Amino acid sequence: MTSAVDLEPGAPSDVDLMLGIQSGDADALSQLYDRYNGIMRALILRIIHNETEADDLLQEVFMEIWNQAKNFSAKKGKPLGWMVTLTRRRAIDALRKKQAYARAEERLQAQPEQQPLAWVQNATENAIEAGDTRVLMAKVINSLPVAQQQVIELAFFQGMSQREIASHTNIPLGTVKTRLELGLKKIYDGLKELRDEF
Amino acid sequence: MSFEEFQNCARLYVIGALEPEELQDFTAARKQYGSAAEDFINQCYGLHEAFALSLKPAKASNAIKDKLMSMVRERGQGQSGSRSA
Repeated sequence: MTSAVDLEPGAPSDVDLMLGIQSGDADALSQLYDRYNGIMRALILRIIHNETEADDLLQEVFMEIWNQAKNFSAKKGKPLGWMVTLTRRRAIDALRKKQAYARAEERLQAQPEQQPLAWVQNATENAIEAGDTRVLMAKVINSLPVAQQQVIELAFFQGMSQREIASHTNIPLGTVKTRLELGLKKIYDGLKELRDEF
Repeated sequence: MSFEEFQNCARLYVIGALEPEELQDFTAARKQYGSAAEDFINQCYGLHEAFALSLKPAKASNAIKDKLMSMVRERGQGQSGSRSA
């Protein structure tokens, strides 16, 4: 896979675009933005739940991609992974800085315990087409038991530590750890299978 | 720490869920397993990609892009990039 999204024939790969950005090509950034702004914004929104803040943060993240592109190395991973790591870190920082953490907790507490996560809702969205990488990833994640999805949701999208999750959910720390380990291993294995198919 | 235990810790590490007291053992194992450990950690960062790709894309308005590109062209790059990829 040269990109996580479907590309037109002859379109530059993600790595090509990163190389362009590293050499100061603004058009390369423009193309990377067109390709991934939807994914990045969805991730930011999933973490901070605020459209205006998400737009501001999206802009800051792409400025950071522009300025920090020199730190990207294709030997260490794919551009999308690097961008998502950067975006998630910035969004979680923003979440904590703006003290929206407490509000997010309230929202989570208000959800029925067995309510499927956003991943499930996304996977059943009519707009998605079969065969899409996103559907395949959502299927892998949705195949996890709800208890494992819940702890992964809190760890990844809320940036909680194992102790914070244990305290938040009243689940013993050892159980949180086991659920996280099992869930992440299944997603990792699913991701690996998916990559092997491409 | 066995390599399997290291792998479990690595997956927690990349999402920032490793507790401080686990970090010391993880760091020691990382050193012990050398390049195999580094390769595995790099692969684990694919988990971030998996989570992001599982979300329904929420495209931003064109105004956001216009503002971004205007800032990029005005300010230039923070530091000129080197081809490290």
